[in-house]
Amino acid sequence: MSQTPSKQTPGALAWARRKEAASRAWKQFRVQRSGLAGLIALGVIAALAILAPVLTDSDQLDVTKVDGPSLGAPSGDYLLGTDENGRSVLLLTWWGARVSLTVGLSAALLSVVIGTVIGVLSAHFGGWVSAVLMRFTDFFLVLPSLVLAIALSTVLDRGLFTIILAIGLTSWPSTARLVRAQTLSVEARPYIERARALGGGHTHVITKHVLPSVLPLVFANTTLAVASAIIAESTLSFLGLGDPTQVTWGSMLKSAASNGAVTTGAWWYLLPPGLGIVAVVLAFTLCGRALETVLNPRLRGER
Amino acid sequence: MSAGRRLAGFLSALVCGALLAAPVAVPAHAQQEQQPGPVLRVGLLQNIDSLNPFLAVFQSSTELGRLMYDFLNSNAAKDNAPAPGLAEKWESSPDKLTWTYTIRSGAKWSDGTSITAKDVAFTYNLMMTNDAAATANGSFVSTFESVTAKDERTLVIKTKTPQATMLSLDVPIVPEHLWSKVSDIGKFGNDQMPVVGSGPFVLTEHKPDQFIRLKANKDYWRGAPKIDELQFIYFKNSDAAVQALRKGEVDLINRLTPTQYQALGGDANITLNKAQGRRFSELLINPGAATRDNVAIGDGNAALKDVRVRKAISQGIDTKALVDRVLKGFGEQGKGIIPPVFTDFHWEPTAAEANKFDPAAANKALDDLGYRKGADGVRISTDGKPLKLRLYARNDRPNDVTSGEYIKQWMLDIGIAVDYTTISGNQMNEQTNTGNYDLAFSGWGTNPDPDYILSLNTCSQRPGADGKGGTTASYMCDRTYDELYAKQLAEFDRAKRAELVKQAQARYNEVRPSLVLYYENALEAYRSDKFSGFAKQPEGNGVIREQNGVWGYYGAVPAGASESGGSSNTGVLIGVVIAIVVIGGIAIVVLSRRRKAASDDRE
Amino acid sequence: MTDLLTPGEQTEPPASTGRRSSSGTLRFVLGKLGGAVISVAFVAALGFLLFRVLPGDPVLTMTRGRPTTPEALAELRLRFGLDDPLWKQFLDYVGGLFRGDFGTSYAYSRPVGEMILERVGPTLLLVGTGTVLAVILGMWIGIRGAWEHGSRFDRTTTSLALTLWSVPTFWLGLLLLMVTGNLFPSGGMVDPSTPKEFLPQLLDIGHHLVLPCITFVAVVYAQYQLVMRSSLLEEMGADYLNTARAKGMREDMVRRKHAVPNAMLPAITLVFLHLGLVVQGAITVETVFSWPGLGLLLYEALSYPDLPLLQGVFTVLAGSVVAMNVVADLLYRVFDPRVRAV
Repeated sequence: MSQTPSKQTPGALAWARRKEAASRAWKQFRVQRSGLAGLIALGVIAALAILAPVLTDSDQLDVTKVDGPSLGAPSGDYLLGTDENGRSVLLLTWWGARVSLTVGLSAALLSVVIGTVIGVLSAHFGGWVSAVLMRFTDFFLVLPSLVLAIALSTVLDRGLFTIILAIGLTSWPSTARLVRAQTLSVEARPYIERARALGGGHTHVITKHVLPSVLPLVFANTTLAVASAIIAESTLSFLGLGDPTQVTWGSMLKSAASNGAVTTGAWWYLLPPGLGIVAVVLAFTLCGRALETVLNPRLRGER
Repeated sequence: MSAGRRLAGFLSALVCGALLAAPVAVPAHAQQEQQPGPVLRVGLLQNIDSLNPFLAVFQSSTELGRLMYDFLNSNAAKDNAPAPGLAEKWESSPDKLTWTYTIRSGAKWSDGTSITAKDVAFTYNLMMTNDAAATANGSFVSTFESVTAKDERTLVIKTKTPQATMLSLDVPIVPEHLWSKVSDIGKFGNDQMPVVGSGPFVLTEHKPDQFIRLKANKDYWRGAPKIDELQFIYFKNSDAAVQALRKGEVDLINRLTPTQYQALGGDANITLNKAQGRRFSELLINPGAATRDNVAIGDGNAALKDVRVRKAISQGIDTKALVDRVLKGFGEQGKGIIPPVFTDFHWEPTAAEANKFDPAAANKALDDLGYRKGADGVRISTDGKPLKLRLYARNDRPNDVTSGEYIKQWMLDIGIAVDYTTISGNQMNEQTNTGNYDLAFSGWGTNPDPDYILSLNTCSQRPGADGKGGTTASYMCDRTYDELYAKQLAEFDRAKRAELVKQAQARYNEVRPSLVLYYENALEAYRSDKFSGFAKQPEGNGVIREQNGVWGYYGAVPAGASESGGSSNTGVLIGVVIAIVVIGGIAIVVLSRRRKAASDDRE
Repeated sequence: MTDLLTPGEQTEPPASTGRRSSSGTLRFVLGKLGGAVISVAFVAALGFLLFRVLPGDPVLTMTRGRPTTPEALAELRLRFGLDDPLWKQFLDYVGGLFRGDFGTSYAYSRPVGEMILERVGPTLLLVGTGTVLAVILGMWIGIRGAWEHGSRFDRTTTSLALTLWSVPTFWLGLLLLMVTGNLFPSGGMVDPSTPKEFLPQLLDIGHHLVLPCITFVAVVYAQYQLVMRSSLLEEMGADYLNTARAKGMREDMVRRKHAVPNAMLPAITLVFLHLGLVVQGAITVETVFSWPGLGLLLYEALSYPDLPLLQGVFTVLAGSVVAMNVVADLLYRVFDPRVRAV
């Protein structure tokens, strides 16, 4: 946004209006208890994840440097017991949050960016562009995304990037549909007509008018997309398609399952990563639902 | 609506009750069925690729083939040495090119027909003339000139060159009177139950990915097995199999991880078997990959072409630590490429030959070769670049993945930077088959006869000019080794041959195209409250399953006459209690809904 | 998975043009069918191309770990047509599909179509039972929740649904396995010793089905509940209900006769629209409980990797989801008066 000192420029006006809208949205969000709880939980988890290198010693994640018992039960030294290589499960879960969150956020971002671009373009241009793009979207919408993600991660080189790509490339269609619907309704408003009449080109209309009014909804959608991306990551890792050298919640569950945690009754190995996933996914879902209620007036008061 | 709801409630109550009551009903039936005799139930972790022994290559399927069909020779349970099978005796001509086997009389197919030399000749000839039939075991007949049945009991095999492996022909013999009618071997499923065979068990049912049932072959020439039925029950993950063993759903499982093995230790009804495995794990060190015509291929680091660098790297690796930490002690340090379970052929290095973990010596050796350490502690190659090696591990082999972390650290200690990546088994094949690797984890399961594993390291196994068709294990090409290999193949005195085999391994160690890291133990467990008598191969510290024979299953004896009831009865009891609670709960919900609905109506 | 909780998408009425006429309906049906055919063609092409990119020489994978000669390798390559140019392989594959021939599995030397047929039954049993239970449970809770909007029942069930919805399927399965101990079998579909008569088989399969089914339902039902609830809430504010009330209809009759049937529609459509989700539930549940269905077959094909089998299972799974979506679209057209009337 262009910001000029003069209060009368349209840019500043728009800015002020948006600021006001944001603070209004925040007020509405604040009263939704579950959404707020989700937000606080996310804040705490994110802070812990970011501070992990400061608060803990990453050397204890290196199998060559640890000397704990194999699958040891929780004790004074290891509050949540140890994994099969003698590493602290607490520490693994803590650090696993970093990778799981990174993968979840990046994959969601990728999927939302693709979805937004396709959704806006197909709604804005209409005609055959719209027809082709929507046909394309519908095709991907019905493909079972996990099957496609499995196929992709088999074909590409194994690694975190592949997982991100596999999730991002398979989960965008619903965003595209949503953005398309929203764009259509925005473009039907009279002021867009006016902007066009005044000589605004495609770029102008899309970046100055369509995107700003679509983005809040996209934001809410991203929040929900992160939740599903984190579940997808854990599922792919569990099926053995992850990167075994990276500690994620999914890879922890995979090694717990393949190293006899169920047999041994090593609940301390099985529970923390799973609960971590549930907590983060739930937090993102609650936030996303609350955001949607705020940003999509049709839903207000229903949930 | 309320009528509908009541119906739904009733139906769900019915379903829940039925499902929970199932364990009550089923064993009652099952026990009637089982009256005739004991059933040994085995957990199976790998599925069956084919029931057709000419096509089957999975370990699970070849084991099934051994149970269904007899072989010309067997491998003794005691020490894996060749022993009589369908052939009760044999002799070879002085030039070792003609072998005459005498087939035992009285052996019968499970449909009552006699087994004759003609069946054996038919089987071998089929593999020599039909490409599809050669799929699984074709290599055994690749040097055969002719196979003929002189009469019912005499089989004559002529070979093009002398073969020391003539008593280890690992080929299931099939009945000619049935298989001669098969038109397309490559598409034949061999699933007409019961499948006519000659082994200790007869295959009677196969549900892919669910279970396999075999009935004891009462007419088996060694005598009928002590158990009536053998069932293989399929499990997708090993932990489920372990749980099933605990619950008594299966009686014998294998391929345990150390943690599972240790966890089962406390159970009085379960006996553990820690056996020497047939597999060795190695770290490939690219010695300069080349084709059969010595044209270099791949992009292996040039520094590794120097055997002194390969040895220095080996010295930097602590195989003992890998056994202790990665295998949790369930294994032995690596030596030659034939594991110690094959005592005759396993090579014990002298103190001078053995690879000793000595980072200081490794550092000195690399210093002396001119690889000076740079400012960051990484050595500088002769071309001025840092000495950096790629290391590949298969992501589906957890032990390799963990070992990789250690090796990366150890290499850093001797000034070599390692770029460590885990890749799929397929990508690993691709990298190694094209010579595009520096360091890579590998490993092989070996047979009682050492010929095959030794052959994989000869010059001629390297790829052809088009880069295809190679089966080399290490890109080794060494004249001395090739000579030793050829000599052992033509040596018929077992002791003398063993000596040559050991020399070949010593030479392999000298050339060091790979470092043998360790031999993993095979970990098995069985319900000793139900069965005993499993014969191990070899005696003492051998395996019960995945043998070069079927001694383990064949030897199984039911333990006493005690019933298995205990645990499953409690299960049934709990099931009934829960069923009652659930049904009761549903009834209460339904009733309360009805009352509420009624009161709603009254409003 | 997010799309379930994203309203707007499925509530957006399908864009239909023109008056309602028989030719319009026919055009609509034909258009949908044509679209589906194109989609299935895409699926088949994608299935073919995707797995061709897999690294490694399939022949070497097939022979890994056993004695082979270069001649044998060449023979195998010839038998599977791997030396043919890609376009010819594709034509062979497409030609085969028309004859119902999915090719021959590398690992099992069996026709892929036959292997898939074997697995359809168990998957349908698991997915069918699970979906029916999830729909009944989800709708019942959803209706009651909307009814008693804001009550403790409503709040508890909504939180529970959101929590269960956040649980990774496989993890729930593992926990159930750990917790239930000896009550239920650890895996598989039927015990080999069970007599072959109908009743014992039925009971035993039912017994094996309990844990996979609970896992499946627990993760899937939430979406039906949430959609049913919000759909009914929306419907309950509609004007025509007031009209009905004004006519003197009792409150719960108004809801039962008018609100619920109308609210049911989006939920039922959702059942069909999200069959893709059901498929992924099947893959994970089957893997955890060794349930011998299509999901497990896919997992096995992956670990080999068995190209023809992979593309076969992929095509069948994706193709059936495409087909179900067409059914959903048509049903929507048939049942929703609003869509028809436009």
